[in-house]
Amino acid sequence: MLHAQGAGGDPLAAMEQALVAKPDDLRAGNDYRVAIMKAGQYDRGLDFFEKLVAAHPAAANAHLNYGFQYVDKIPAAGSITQVILANNALTQFTRSLEIRPSWIAYYTRGNSYLYWPRIFGRTTLGIADLEAALKIQKAEPKRGLHVRVWVALGDGYFKMDDLAKARAVWTEGLAQFPDSAALKQRLALQPDGIQALLDTVYDPNKRVDTSLQDLWSDT
Amino acid sequence: MVRHVTLALVPLLAGTFVLAQGGAITFEDVTAKAGVKRQHHTRVFKGKTGDVLAMFTSGGSSAAAGDYDNDGDDDLFVTDSDEGKTNILYRNDGGFRFTDVTAAAGVGGGNDPLSIVADALWFDYDNDGWRDLLVVRFGTPLLYQNQKDGTFKDVSAASGMNSFANSIAAIAFDYDRDGRLDVLLGNYFKPENLILLKSPNVLPNDLDKAVNGGGVTLWRNLGGGRFEDTTKKAGLANAMGWTLDVGHGDFDNDGLPDVYLAGDYGTDRVYFNNGDGTFTDTTETSIGFDTRKGMNVDVGDYNNDGWLDVYVTNITDEYMKECNMLWHNNGDRTFTDVSRESATCDSLWGWAAKFGDFDNDQLLDIFAVNGLRSAGPENYIPVLVNMITSPGIDFTDVNNWPAIGNMTWSGYQKKKFFRNLDGHAFKEISAAAGVDNDKDGRGLAVADFDQDGRLEFFQANANQEPIFYRNVTATVGNWVQLDLVGTVSNRDAIGARVTLKTGSGKTLIREVEGGNGYAGQSTRRIHFGLGPDTTIESLEIRWPGGLRQRANAAVGKITTIRETESKGSK
Repeated sequence: MLHAQGAGGDPLAAMEQALVAKPDDLRAGNDYRVAIMKAGQYDRGLDFFEKLVAAHPAAANAHLNYGFQYVDKIPAAGSITQVILANNALTQFTRSLEIRPSWIAYYTRGNSYLYWPRIFGRTTLGIADLEAALKIQKAEPKRGLHVRVWVALGDGYFKMDDLAKARAVWTEGLAQFPDSAALKQRLALQPDGIQALLDTVYDPNKRVDTSLQDLWSDT
Repeated sequence: MVRHVTLALVPLLAGTFVLAQGGAITFEDVTAKAGVKRQHHTRVFKGKTGDVLAMFTSGGSSAAAGDYDNDGDDDLFVTDSDEGKTNILYRNDGGFRFTDVTAAAGVGGGNDPLSIVADALWFDYDNDGWRDLLVVRFGTPLLYQNQKDGTFKDVSAASGMNSFANSIAAIAFDYDRDGRLDVLLGNYFKPENLILLKSPNVLPNDLDKAVNGGGVTLWRNLGGGRFEDTTKKAGLANAMGWTLDVGHGDFDNDGLPDVYLAGDYGTDRVYFNNGDGTFTDTTETSIGFDTRKGMNVDVGDYNNDGWLDVYVTNITDEYMKECNMLWHNNGDRTFTDVSRESATCDSLWGWAAKFGDFDNDQLLDIFAVNGLRSAGPENYIPVLVNMITSPGIDFTDVNNWPAIGNMTWSGYQKKKFFRNLDGHAFKEISAAAGVDNDKDGRGLAVADFDQDGRLEFFQANANQEPIFYRNVTATVGNWVQLDLVGTVSNRDAIGARVTLKTGSGKTLIREVEGGNGYAGQSTRRIHFGLGPDTTIESLEIRWPGGLRQRANAAVGKITTIRETESKGSK
């Protein structure tokens, strides 16, 4: 059984206490991770989520946040540890999907696969996840966050050398989100420029914005 | 106390070369013609874990340039690593013809059943004016004394350098300025014999922050052919990493040689010399702790600001984006990595990289070799990643590492030649320069082997034939080369700083180095490219012992300068 420490003057402890009470609370977990990142206490966050999912193995969103916690630590790690953290993150995203498939979980895992160099054979897995996310979002009311799937899915096809498919996805996405700078940028670039852009976007040494805040501000 | 001795200062004659800014730099492969084609062999290990150990010890292919016979040109000592295979001493006969004189010299040995040759170093440990030879091993080092007649005598036993280490790098320098050259060994594995392998837990305990490597061993030269281990006393015992290379240079311009260690699987380290036989570890403030795979240390002033900079290769490949480090010396015992801005970040799976002014334009260029293992079409990386990502895996256990078989791992990589454009930016020109071979490079020895003023390099490759590149750049700048001879200081003058002011007022510095760069020793002869300058305004030597001496040298010539024995003026 997981027991949160007494909050005292420690804001992180207070957030942990709240999460122990509601482990599947995606927003509370997100806020906790944001606070962990500000404090640079990644190992504390990982330790906490490890215990949280052990105590609440069916809490899909706890697994999702646990995975994000690994992702948050990646830029602070060495190159080989980055691989281990990224793989651990995928394990948690997969567990979350196994428990409760969702748009955010498919998008998250699909996007994560795109960070792996093609040599590891995970890009096609990413495309499959992103296609699943796209299918879900097409059946839902349009939300601002949905543009991310159009962008990432096109990136996935580009990584697999299918420029035509990538452009088709980005073009369709732009029709849905005509103000998307990311889609416009990709469609305006030649292949070399796209490659350079994606090298920058999917650089493991750069921090990935894992905040889910837009989920609650996005309508 | 610094002493000044002033000799006559005369404007010097111009050379005949005229620099065409930005003209092509070109090299010619003369390996076969020079007669230096013999291939290196990595050690074959027996048993179930042999495959993995062979992979982890796939260094050992090194080359050391040095004039062992005092005929004025640099000869080559090239190592081999498999059991029973002999190292080779190539005598430079001029005109890019070399003769294998190993048997007569008696320096072929070292690859016995329990030892693996990994590196080599020329240095005159007894200050008799004849370069001696240190053969570095996974084992105990071998010290050969030059008998001045083309033969060498094994004096290892009497030297005291008899403690076992898995050494892979070596420099000679006079860290305590007593006039005798000391030896710093970089050790990769912890001191356990890999051939006997009593415990399988010999591999890195962390792949980014390992602290179970061999560190370094500092051997202080006591004179009389004796050395003592002063690692702990000197303050270097805290280096517990997987040292792949060691480098020296006076980084803070205080006249004392400082040290940079390149660590695989973890942080590099910087030590400043306190001047009392000890060093201070300033890693945290000088460069910060890193998690990269440091492979090489070379030292040079790439931007001609009067402060020695450091170039370190790491691993940058499809699956790992570490970037090399070009450490710009800030002049305050701190360094800033400018590899990205300067375009020297990516040399793939790096090994040796050497500074050299290959077109004599006053700017140090960089040649970098790379490539781990070129074999079959199957790639080892996905297999390895499966192991790395296995929960709870013990990386130290050699039994946990998957066999590589005939798989390729970062192989068939094109070498990188970074041409220094302006002291800030570099341009990769290896294909145009004719040096973009895809061998599994390891060591580099840079020297002007034909004494025509243009630097060339010998590239030692693992388990493959070497490549010897002759510099055939058609249009180069003027140049001057200096052979420094210490009299009070160590005879090889290793650590001497030369400051040259050109006729047009540009100031350049070089130091005599004792083996910087992974698995390779470059010439100890100082080389300055002068560009369009046809005169030298001033030339000052700061000898390792502290004496400052003004001297003359002719443009387009090799000049020998002896450390004056005069007390001179203060």
